[in-house]
Amino acid sequence: MITFQELILRLQTHWAAQGCILAQPYDLEVGAGTMAPQTFLRALGPEPWNVAYVQPSRRPADGRFGENPNRLFQHHQFQVILKPAPKNVQQLYLESLEAVGVDPMAHDLRFVEDDWESPTLGAWGLGWEVWCDGMEVTQFTYFQQCGGFDCRPVSAELTYGLERLCMYLQGVESVYDIEWVKGVKYREVFHANEVEMSKYALHESNAEQLQQLFSSYEAECQRLLQRELPLPAYDYALKCSHTFNLLDARGAISVTERAAYIKRVRDNARLCAQGYLAMREKLGYPLCKTKWTVGEQPALLEGKPGSEYWKTQSFQPKEAKEKEAARG
Amino acid sequence: MADLLLELGSEELPASFLGPALDDLEKAFKAGCEAARLTHGPIARYGTPRRLALLVTQVADGTPDLQKEMNGPSVKAAFDAEGKPTQAATKFAAGHGLTVDQLVKVTTPKGEYLAARVQEKGKRALEILPAVLHATVHGINFKKSMRWGDVDLSYARPLHWIVALLGDEVVPVVFADVKSGRQTRGHRFLTKGPIDLARPGEYLAKLRAAKVEPDIAERKAQVKALVAKAAERAGGKLLEDEALVDQVTNLVELPCPVVGTFEARHLDLPPEVLIQEMKSHQRYFSVVGADGKLLPRFIAVSNTPVKDEAFSVKGYERVLRSRLSDGRFFFDEDRRLRLEERLPKLERVVWQGALGSYREKQVRMGALAKGLHAQLKSPAKLEHVLRAVELSKADLVTSMVGEFPELQGVMGREYARHDKEPEEVALAIAEHYLPRGASDGVPTRDEGALVGLAERFDTIAGIFGIGKGPSGAADPFALRRACLAVIRVTLERGYRYSLREQVSGALALLEPKLAAIKRKAGEPAVLDQVLDFFRGRLKALWSEAHRADVVEAVLTAGFDDLVAAHQRLTAISARVKQPEFEPLAATIKRVGNIVAKQAKDVARGAVDPSKLNDAAEKALAQAVAGAQGEVQGLLGKGAYAQALDRLTQLKPQVDAFFDQVMVMAEDKALRENRVRLLMQVSGLFETLADFSAISA
Repeated sequence: MITFQELILRLQTHWAAQGCILAQPYDLEVGAGTMAPQTFLRALGPEPWNVAYVQPSRRPADGRFGENPNRLFQHHQFQVILKPAPKNVQQLYLESLEAVGVDPMAHDLRFVEDDWESPTLGAWGLGWEVWCDGMEVTQFTYFQQCGGFDCRPVSAELTYGLERLCMYLQGVESVYDIEWVKGVKYREVFHANEVEMSKYALHESNAEQLQQLFSSYEAECQRLLQRELPLPAYDYALKCSHTFNLLDARGAISVTERAAYIKRVRDNARLCAQGYLAMREKLGYPLCKTKWTVGEQPALLEGKPGSEYWKTQSFQPKEAKEKEAARG
Repeated sequence: MADLLLELGSEELPASFLGPALDDLEKAFKAGCEAARLTHGPIARYGTPRRLALLVTQVADGTPDLQKEMNGPSVKAAFDAEGKPTQAATKFAAGHGLTVDQLVKVTTPKGEYLAARVQEKGKRALEILPAVLHATVHGINFKKSMRWGDVDLSYARPLHWIVALLGDEVVPVVFADVKSGRQTRGHRFLTKGPIDLARPGEYLAKLRAAKVEPDIAERKAQVKALVAKAAERAGGKLLEDEALVDQVTNLVELPCPVVGTFEARHLDLPPEVLIQEMKSHQRYFSVVGADGKLLPRFIAVSNTPVKDEAFSVKGYERVLRSRLSDGRFFFDEDRRLRLEERLPKLERVVWQGALGSYREKQVRMGALAKGLHAQLKSPAKLEHVLRAVELSKADLVTSMVGEFPELQGVMGREYARHDKEPEEVALAIAEHYLPRGASDGVPTRDEGALVGLAERFDTIAGIFGIGKGPSGAADPFALRRACLAVIRVTLERGYRYSLREQVSGALALLEPKLAAIKRKAGEPAVLDQVLDFFRGRLKALWSEAHRADVVEAVLTAGFDDLVAAHQRLTAISARVKQPEFEPLAATIKRVGNIVAKQAKDVARGAVDPSKLNDAAEKALAQAVAGAQGEVQGLLGKGAYAQALDRLTQLKPQVDAFFDQVMVMAEDKALRENRVRLLMQVSGLFETLADFSAISA
C-alpha cells in the first residue's frame, strides 16, 4: 500500500524526471496552490516555468473540527505548472497516475469539462476535472488569464488533491485513516490541528481585529506597489485574501459586503501582476534565455506566437507614465 | 467523384459542444463549396469527446469553366461627348484585365451598361478544398474556446490532429500548430499509436476496430440499450432520462455500463435529492423497482471496459457515498431551522436590483394572490394561499438548494412537511413553479396555481417596468416562459379574471419601485407593453393549432378574459372549416364595412321602430331584438358555439335587408336608423371576433 508521503515522493520523482523544479511550499497562508507566487506570478509573461510543489491550503470555511471524514480546514495540494504547456501534457499526467499505482486499464479515467475561475485573482482557464471511476482526482486547467492579463504562452496547471487521491489509493473512508508513514496515521499528525484551527476560525477569531488587519494589509500592499516592490506587495495581497477567508468563515461579511471585499483583493492582485510583469521586463525576462521546456513543445505553424504579445504591453504604473509624459 | 473526410482530433471536448460544433462545421463546409461551385453529395457527421468529423460523399472532381458577366459603368457615364471612353470605363476594363473595346453593352432595367465577360477557369477539387477546409475549420464558434502553447488561435481544447482526405490524397490544411494528414487515433487507452487511413471509406470500420463508436446516434442507441439492460441486471428498471443519455453519450467513445449500489438507509432522503445527487455531479442513472420507487442501485457509464468491474465499481460507490452523506448533512442541517425562521434572510437576497429583495417580492405576491383568490372565488383557504406565498421562496436560502438549484420548490415542500405546515401549503410551494417547461403539467390545486400566477404577474410587470422586457432573441428574465405559464395555468384551470386588472394591480404594487425609473419619450405605457406582449404570446401559442387569421380575429375582439377568448377561438375555429361559414363571413364583413364607414357620422344608439317602413328591415329589427337577449345569455354562459349558431340564424334577414333595403336613403333620419340597426348586428358579432380579419 502506498503511504501518503510515498505518494508525494512518487509524484515529485515523476515531475522532476520531466524537468520540473521541485519547489517548496510557499510559507504564507493560501487557499490553494494557485495562489502561491510560484503559480500566480510565474504564469504571467513570456518566460518558461516548470515547477512541482506541495502546497498546504487553508480553507477556514471548510473547517469541521476534525469530525468530517472528507472536509478539512487545511488540506494538501500537489501543484504542477508547465509553461508553456507541453503538447503531450495529458499523457505526462496519465503517466504520473500510473506512477502512483493507477492502472488506466483497471480504472475509468476521464477528462470531464470543468472551467476554472478565481474572482479574487482575476484569473480563469479551461480544462477538466479528471475522474478516476467517477471521482475527481485532479483539476486540470489551461490558464487563459491571470490578474487580468492574458497568459501567453499558456500554462497547464495540474492540481492533485493529495488527501482524496490517497484515501482512494489506500481504500480508506476517512481522511484521518490515511497512513502517512507506516504505522502513523493522518489522525496522529493533523487531527489536533483540525480541531484547533476550526475552533479558531469558526468561533474564536476576532472579527474586528481581522477587519483592521485586512485594511492595513491592503494599504501595505498598495504602498509596496508604489515602491515598485511587487513581490512583498503580493505577500500582503495574499494576507488580505486569507484574512477575508477568515472573516467569511466567521460569518462576519454580509452578502453585499462580500462582493466588495473580493473586488478589493482582486484589484490588488491585479496591480501585483502588473508590477511583477514590469519587474520581469526590466530584468529582460531572464528565463527566456534558457531553453527550459518540459515534454513535447508544439511547432508554430499558423497564428502569431503569443510571446510577441508581451512586446506590445505596457506595465508601467500610472504615476510613472504621467511623470514620463510630463518630462517628455 | 470521390469521398472526403475531415476529422479534427482534440483533447476532450465538453459534451454539450459536439452538436453545435458539427452544425457549424457542416454549415461552413457547405457555404465554402457553394462559393467555390464545388458540388457534393450527402454529408455524414461524426463526433466523440476527442473528435469532430464530416464524411462528405460524391465530391465532384472539380468545377467547370464559368462565363461571368460583371456590370460596370452605364454607357452614358462610360463615354464622353466625343464618344471617347471616360476614366470610369478604362479603369473598369483594366480591373478585369481587358481594354474598353473588349467590353460589351448590356441592357438592364436601369438602362444600358458596359459589362465585362470573364471566363473563370474551372479548378480541380484538390485545388479548391484547402481553402474550403481552412474556412470550415475556422468556422466553428465554440461557446467557450481557449488558446494553447504559444499560438494565438483558439479551439475548445487543444487540437492534436487533422485528417483531411479526398479519396486517397491528403488535402493540406493547417490550424494553429497542426498539419493535416491521414492518421487518426483510436480509444485513448485501448488502442496504441496512430491509425493510417488509406481513404475516407475506411473511417467507420477502422475506428470501430479501434474501440471508438464515432456515430453519435449509434452510440446513443448503445448507451440506451446498455443502461436499460444494466438496470435489469440491478434488479429493476431504468428511470428514463433522455437529457442524461445525451450527455453521457458525448462523454464516452465506447460506452461500458457499470452497476453500483448505495446504502439503503439513504432511501429516506427525498427521491428528487437522490436522483439529483446521482445525476448532476456524477452522471449516474437511477434505477426504480416495479412500484416506481427508487432502488439503492445506480448505473454509471464508463469509457473503458475495465479489467475487473467489481474493483472499479468501488470507486463509483465511494464517490456517491460521500455525496450522499453530504446530501444527508444538508438535509438534516436545513431541517434544524423552520422555513419561516429563514424569512429574515430573504430580506438580504436580491431578486432584481431595482425591484428589491425576495422578501419585498413576496409581500407584493401576497397582495396579488389575495386579489386573485377573491376574484376567482377559490374554494382554497385564503390562509393556505398566503402561507404558501410567504414560504414559497424560503428554500432558496437552504444549503440543499444552494447545492442543487434545480431542487428549489421540491425542497421547500419537503421542509414544509417537516415543519408540519398544512399539506396544501407544502404542495403549493413545490407546484407554484409549474409548469417549468412544455412537458410539465400545471399545478393540481388552486393554492399552487394562485401563488404561481401572483409571482409571474409581479415578475412580468416588474421587468417590463424597468425596461428589461424581451427584445429579439434576448429574454434574460425568461418572461416568455413566464407568460406561457400564466396562459397555461389560466386556461387549464379555467380561471376567469381580467388580465388588464391583474397587470395594473401588479404595476400599482410595484409603483414605489418603478416611480424612479425614467421612461423613454414616446414609449407606450408599461401596462400596454405587457398586454401587447401577452397578445404576441397568445398569437404564437394559438397559431400552432389554429389558423393564424382566426386567432388574430379572436384576439382583436379582446383577450382580457383568457378563458373566454380561447373558447371563442375554439368555437369559431370549428365553424371556419364548415362550408356555410364563408357566406356568413361575407355577410358579416359587408355589415362591418358599412358600419366602419358610417361610424364617424352616426352615433350608436337605439333603433327607432317608428322609422322602420320596409318589411325586410322590420323583420331584421325583430330578429335582432329576438337574438340579442338570447345571445347575451349564451355569451354569459360561455356557450360561444351556440351563440355563433344563434347569430348565424340572422343571416337570411341580413341578406334580405341588403337585397331589399337601401341603407343610404335620402332621408337622414331613415338612413341613420338603418345604420344603427346594422350597428346592432355588427355589435353582436364583434363580441366574438373581428370577422374582417378572417380571410375567405
